[in-house]
Amino acid sequence: MNPAEQAIRQKFQQYYLDPKRQLDPPPSPAEREYGFLLFNGKFMVRHRSFKDSGSLLRAIRDLVPLHVYFSTAYYREPTAPMEEKGWTGADLVFDIDADHLDTPCKPDHDSWKCKACGTAGKGGAPKLCPKCKNDRMEEQTWLCDRCLQQAKEETAKLLEMLYTDLGVDHENTRLFFSGHRGYHVHVYSKQTSQLGEEERREIADYLLAQGLDPQLHELEETSVGGTRVAEGPLMGQPGWRGRIVAGIYDILGSEIDQIGLTSTQVSALKSWDREDLLRKPFWGSVKGVGMSTWKTLVSKAVEKKSAEIDSVVTTDIHRLIRMPGTLNGHTGLMAMKVPEERLDEFDPFTEPLAFQGQIKVKVLESPSFRLGEERFGPYRNEIVELPSAAGMLLLCKHRAEPTA
Amino acid sequence: MTEPNLMLTRADLAKYPFLNEASDYIKELGISIEDIATPDFSPVLERAEKRLEEALSKGRVSNEFGNENAEILSFPVSNLILSLTGEERAQRRFALAEAKRAYELLRQESPEKLDYIARTTFGWKLKKIDAQPGKIFYDFAVSLADYLRNSVHLKEPRWKLPNRILDHGQVYATREELARLLEEEVRTRIVDRTGKLPGEVPKLLQPRVERTRGLITKWLGIPSHYELPQVPTPEAMPPCVRHLIDNLAEGKNVQHMGRFTLASFLVNIGAGEEEIVKTFKPASDFSERMTRYQVEHIAGKRGGRTKYTCPMCTTLKTHGVCYKPDKICETIRNPLSYYKQKARVLTGRGPSREPS
Repeated sequence: MNPAEQAIRQKFQQYYLDPKRQLDPPPSPAEREYGFLLFNGKFMVRHRSFKDSGSLLRAIRDLVPLHVYFSTAYYREPTAPMEEKGWTGADLVFDIDADHLDTPCKPDHDSWKCKACGTAGKGGAPKLCPKCKNDRMEEQTWLCDRCLQQAKEETAKLLEMLYTDLGVDHENTRLFFSGHRGYHVHVYSKQTSQLGEEERREIADYLLAQGLDPQLHELEETSVGGTRVAEGPLMGQPGWRGRIVAGIYDILGSEIDQIGLTSTQVSALKSWDREDLLRKPFWGSVKGVGMSTWKTLVSKAVEKKSAEIDSVVTTDIHRLIRMPGTLNGHTGLMAMKVPEERLDEFDPFTEPLAFQGQIKVKVLESPSFRLGEERFGPYRNEIVELPSAAGMLLLCKHRAEPTA
Repeated sequence: MTEPNLMLTRADLAKYPFLNEASDYIKELGISIEDIATPDFSPVLERAEKRLEEALSKGRVSNEFGNENAEILSFPVSNLILSLTGEERAQRRFALAEAKRAYELLRQESPEKLDYIARTTFGWKLKKIDAQPGKIFYDFAVSLADYLRNSVHLKEPRWKLPNRILDHGQVYATREELARLLEEEVRTRIVDRTGKLPGEVPKLLQPRVERTRGLITKWLGIPSHYELPQVPTPEAMPPCVRHLIDNLAEGKNVQHMGRFTLASFLVNIGAGEEEIVKTFKPASDFSERMTRYQVEHIAGKRGGRTKYTCPMCTTLKTHGVCYKPDKICETIRNPLSYYKQKARVLTGRGPSREPS
């Protein structure tokens, strides 16, 4: 363990040893597998099982892991090797992470470096190194208001679709802040627990509108008295049909001139009363706007309304996922339950703070950031005394070292 | 029947012998499997064999409603004979043929009867609706889980969930679509039934089982473990695998998923370890020791001792390994099936693909 890891582990230990500490375990805790990523050489302890949250907390206090996970799957024998566990079902889970969002602030706070040739750049890491085509990248990410706000908006869209389209029950749904750059939604229900990987892939594709073909939602060109007229779904129709129209309505009221249409098309659409979308079949009624323009609008509407989930998480029926109430080793922030009605006002930079007091650290380099009511940085090669939560964030993010 | 069934007549049971009511009906007739093997029931046995022969030879089963009892009784007998052969290919083919037969009849049924069958035999949760959100009229709203369990087998874009109307956990479906989804349910049920070995088998059935084995060899060719060519046939490899090999040969970097796909594919088509290791040699970061270790792991000679199979096409699409899919790709879900199919054509053995 290096000095930074020692400092982090010590703080984590204090956090878990707090006599008031309680975990927020998922339903049926004894049927799940638990995993801990340890400080020592980043070693993963898996295939553990606990009968209740008390025994789990005792193990966490003993081990003081960097990350704590539980399986979304239920098993007859959670401690058996993978092939012999006896899968009996799995929660339906969704992960929204700024890693997968294309926010404009990323070049300001994220950077990458190719592990093979050393090529480096700003922003989110490309899939392949542009120079040597290697896929192993070292990434430096940061969490910022803007990225997390975007993640929150994606989460709100996800929840709306889960309830109105998928018919998921509020009672069985939990929302969590991941303690880093996103939100998790867990659905615990009998109906969805038996879904296989392929079925879950369909659900992920639905939320992402992956493979959506507007023609199959009856967007088509028909002929009325010799003139060609576009026809399509209507506002208020269930599922993607109504959502497509709602998306177009939003676009007409905001970014209509930023979606790559010609100025004539834009002015035709602007001079047309978008409230018509709410009232009647409208597709054919805008002069100068033909099928291809509508198609552009539909694809932009779909982009706007889809929820950017990470489909790998949703389709994996053996996934280990972060345990609410534990610390995220990437930040020192708590992964925590967010009551859904409070999502809008939830402040991921205030509520998940886990540490009190002050700490002195040597910051190597850090962008400016906010935590609680205070702003910090930017820092570069300086020793500063910070509130513990801020210092821990920098330590966990490898942006700082403890002072000797 | 103990209770009069208002929805189904005996003619219906003859049309749909997979229904729960058909099994109940047989129970009430008090006929056991020993009886079936006696001369009195020769029409039943004949029909059972005909079902099998038609399914194996043409991929279809015709309807014969002249003798309703024979029609109802012969179906479980066909299942039984087939399960005794232990031939999975034949079981799949028979299930498909019977399911198709059922579909052609189901699509002509009233919404009420479809609703009843889906509910009672297959335990679906569905609602009868009258909705016409656009040009198409929908009779049903099917629960999401019931829809997905069956639609994932259907590859046309219209079955993809984002292209459906999904409202509070219910997927809208037309009458025809409901019949098509039921076809999948029927197919799965028959595959499950014929795949299970029965307990006691009357001796008299043994010759029939042997005859069916003969039919299977006649119509489906050599048993499955000879399906693959003895020697790896590069011409039969799918575009994604060839692309991976080309990339490696040119010294380009291939990502983890690509490497795993290639190695597991080669292991499964029976390529030798030396040959596989050689394929990876041109890679810029090639380490013979590492490659050999990993290939052995995939082949199940190390670690968990599981022999890995090649990832599914959907997974390869997600990871960007899928490359220029061609006509055959549309009909398969795993690169290994592509290989099987193409190799069969190339070597001129058996039908070019399982008839659909």
